[in-house]
Amino acid sequence: MKVEILIYAYLAVCVSMILFNIVCIFVFRRKDKNIKKRSIDFTDIIEEQLDKQTVDETHKSFLRKKLKKINHMMAFDETLEKLYDRRPEDTQKYIANLCSVFVFLTFKYSEKNQIQAAYFPYIIKKYHVFKGVSIPIVQESLMELVKEQNLYCRENALQALYSIGGADSVIQALKTLDKAGSFHHGKMIADGLLCFSGPIDELSEKLWMNFNKFSIALKQAILDYFRFSSGRHSEKMLQLMIDDKENQELRFSAIRYFAKYHHEPAQAHLYSLATDDSPIWEYRAIAASALGNYPAEKTEILLKELLCDPNWHVRYNAADSLERLGVRYEEMIDIFEGRDRYAAEMLRYRFDRKKLKDTEGMPV
Amino acid sequence: MMNQDNFMVIKTILDWVNVFFIIYLIGYSSFLFLAVVVGSSELYNKRHKEELKNTLLQNYYVPISIIVPAYNEEVTVVETVKSLLSLEYTLYEIIVVDDGSKDTTSQKLIEAFDMKPIRRPIHRKISCQPEEFVYESVSEKVPLTLIRKKNGGKADSLNMGINACKYPYFICMDADSVLQYDSLTKISRPLLEQGNIVAVGGVVRPANSVTLDQGRVLNYQLPSNILACMQVLEYDRSFLASRILFDKFNGSLIISGAFGLFKKDTVIAAGGYDHSTMGEDMELVVKLHEYCAMNEIPYCIKYATDAICWSQAPERLRDLCKQRKRWHLGLFQSMWKHRVMLFNAKFGAVSFVSFFYFLLYELLSPFIEIFGVVTMVTAFIFDLINIPFMFLFFAIYAVFGCILTLTAFFARTQTIDLKISVMDALKAILLCFIETTFLRFIMAFVRATAFIGYKKKKLNWGRIERKKINVK
Repeated sequence: MKVEILIYAYLAVCVSMILFNIVCIFVFRRKDKNIKKRSIDFTDIIEEQLDKQTVDETHKSFLRKKLKKINHMMAFDETLEKLYDRRPEDTQKYIANLCSVFVFLTFKYSEKNQIQAAYFPYIIKKYHVFKGVSIPIVQESLMELVKEQNLYCRENALQALYSIGGADSVIQALKTLDKAGSFHHGKMIADGLLCFSGPIDELSEKLWMNFNKFSIALKQAILDYFRFSSGRHSEKMLQLMIDDKENQELRFSAIRYFAKYHHEPAQAHLYSLATDDSPIWEYRAIAASALGNYPAEKTEILLKELLCDPNWHVRYNAADSLERLGVRYEEMIDIFEGRDRYAAEMLRYRFDRKKLKDTEGMPV
Repeated sequence: MMNQDNFMVIKTILDWVNVFFIIYLIGYSSFLFLAVVVGSSELYNKRHKEELKNTLLQNYYVPISIIVPAYNEEVTVVETVKSLLSLEYTLYEIIVVDDGSKDTTSQKLIEAFDMKPIRRPIHRKISCQPEEFVYESVSEKVPLTLIRKKNGGKADSLNMGINACKYPYFICMDADSVLQYDSLTKISRPLLEQGNIVAVGGVVRPANSVTLDQGRVLNYQLPSNILACMQVLEYDRSFLASRILFDKFNGSLIISGAFGLFKKDTVIAAGGYDHSTMGEDMELVVKLHEYCAMNEIPYCIKYATDAICWSQAPERLRDLCKQRKRWHLGLFQSMWKHRVMLFNAKFGAVSFVSFFYFLLYELLSPFIEIFGVVTMVTAFIFDLINIPFMFLFFAIYAVFGCILTLTAFFARTQTIDLKISVMDALKAILLCFIETTFLRFIMAFVRATAFIGYKKKKLNWGRIERKKINVK
């Protein structure tokens, strides 16, 4: 084969790419224009409904017809966003009246490709379309999306379920997600659960009831959620923390929980974890950090001892906790003047930093 | 007069050289072509996905430490830190490491941010030169630390930053660069999208003639300086082309030192930045590949096409030559140090595609190109060259290169919503010819001569003239 032929062939394809670029410029511009134009049309039509304070059937069938097309849905989204700013209450009432339309659209969007399918739960979540309303067909469809390989399908579907607010469906979705085995970052799950719009106590209770059915990664995310949500899980967290046979990552999460929420019965266990002589230094380090939330003479003595720990992180956390406990400089003279240089420098840093913060906070 | 036998020998040699060049150019053209096609389609696909909210929209923040190594950066360092303070991100810290500057880099920072001296213990997990003093500021929206240390080079400063930083991920960047307001969100997003990520590369774009306000682009235009302008085209081509393609099979070998995110634990386990190489950024990425593969640690190195860092491109040919020489030497040092990765099945596609590509089309390319010119001259002397065909071939090659460059340039500007004027579009079209036909050859010569006197400048910072980025 002659080289020129190949080069010419490449050139031809490259020229096509340039043409593709030019076409793209026009397509994007046209698309943007069309969405704006449709949005203006939608605004007039929807405002008419808002004024009437009701949604008539003709309008619903108009929406059924239009919104099954993705470009119209995008324009509808743009319109609602603007109307929300101008007339929030009317718009919310209007959306609440569109349940039947969105049930119809659930079927239509479940047939689309994954990128388009992921857009639908985003809309459900954004406008709280089914908030507090349990419609099995919608939840089944969202559950199917949770199984998908596409991360955004899964995440948008989960977000929609959190916004609907059914504790059972959220539990079921988490089980489905776990079973599917795709990577879903724990932070997204923990943060997502914090957005749950239904009864939080019911959700927490059900999460604990099903706790042992979840994978370690999911359990960790749930424990993070509990830590960020409230201090009402102390008893269960304590059981986790003191169970030697439990996974160590989960036990770490439980110790962190007590760093945030003071729970008297945990104190003695934190002492023993802080003096744990196992090679796993993380127990000592995290317990040292948690003890900053447990003021007592014994805590101070223990933390001073931990300042001499061979592990850097344990010393750092112990110094940090002593500072948080408000121990005064004079009470630490023995450390500053002692033979352990590492302990002294770690503590000095915390004290200097506190002084720096206090000075910054003082009025000039 | 040359006898017939000698003439035949030369002709045979030239014939074989021809065959080599044909294969070499077909390989290169095919690679570039594939890379640009994959790169542009990826960008358009990404834009489509974002329109349909196939993206993480909530504030899923991963705590990040930003390490800014600085050496004689008094002109730019304050602006750089100010821009970092205006980033739209919740949980991050800034650590500036002054590598024993001879100018007033540290003083400028201390005054600008009212920093106070503090005796801070630093956990030495990787070796680095000792610190001279540490300053902290607690009045800014995020913790700001200045560590002044004994001079030891950029890699050494980065190692100090890694030792001092407190968060599990760190970003390395240059003291003369500005991160776009959303760059931390964008560069950390892959961490949430996929497991086992040990590094994420960002996009570096020349900021000459770009006006930024709080990390937002106010005005984008191609630089008035021709050299800088050609570098814009070159950056777009290389970032769009090779990096997106390599990203598809976890084969990225370079994350720019101007903007990259790394998992701290893995970097420490791999030994941190290497003090002895000039291309510490490439060396680290290659080392991470080697370390993870050798220890059978599942890992992934990603490239965030929308995480943008604005940096000054050299405007003087002398500075550009210096920069490219450093890059080339760094490439050589990294590849030589990790030569075990070449054609080694343990490393999979990284070895057989990325490493081989960098060896053949990056490291050896200047020598091959110069060898090509010598061959042409020899063939001309012996009247063994078809001149019209040679010019035709050159013309086709130039047009091919230009079209690929323009495709990359327009795909990039369009998919990140940068509006360019008609004048700039024409300028890009004109300059891409000059870049393909002249600058490339000059740079090939520069890179081929990079090894002359390299031992002397092994550890210096490779200074180029510093200019402030146009920040409002």
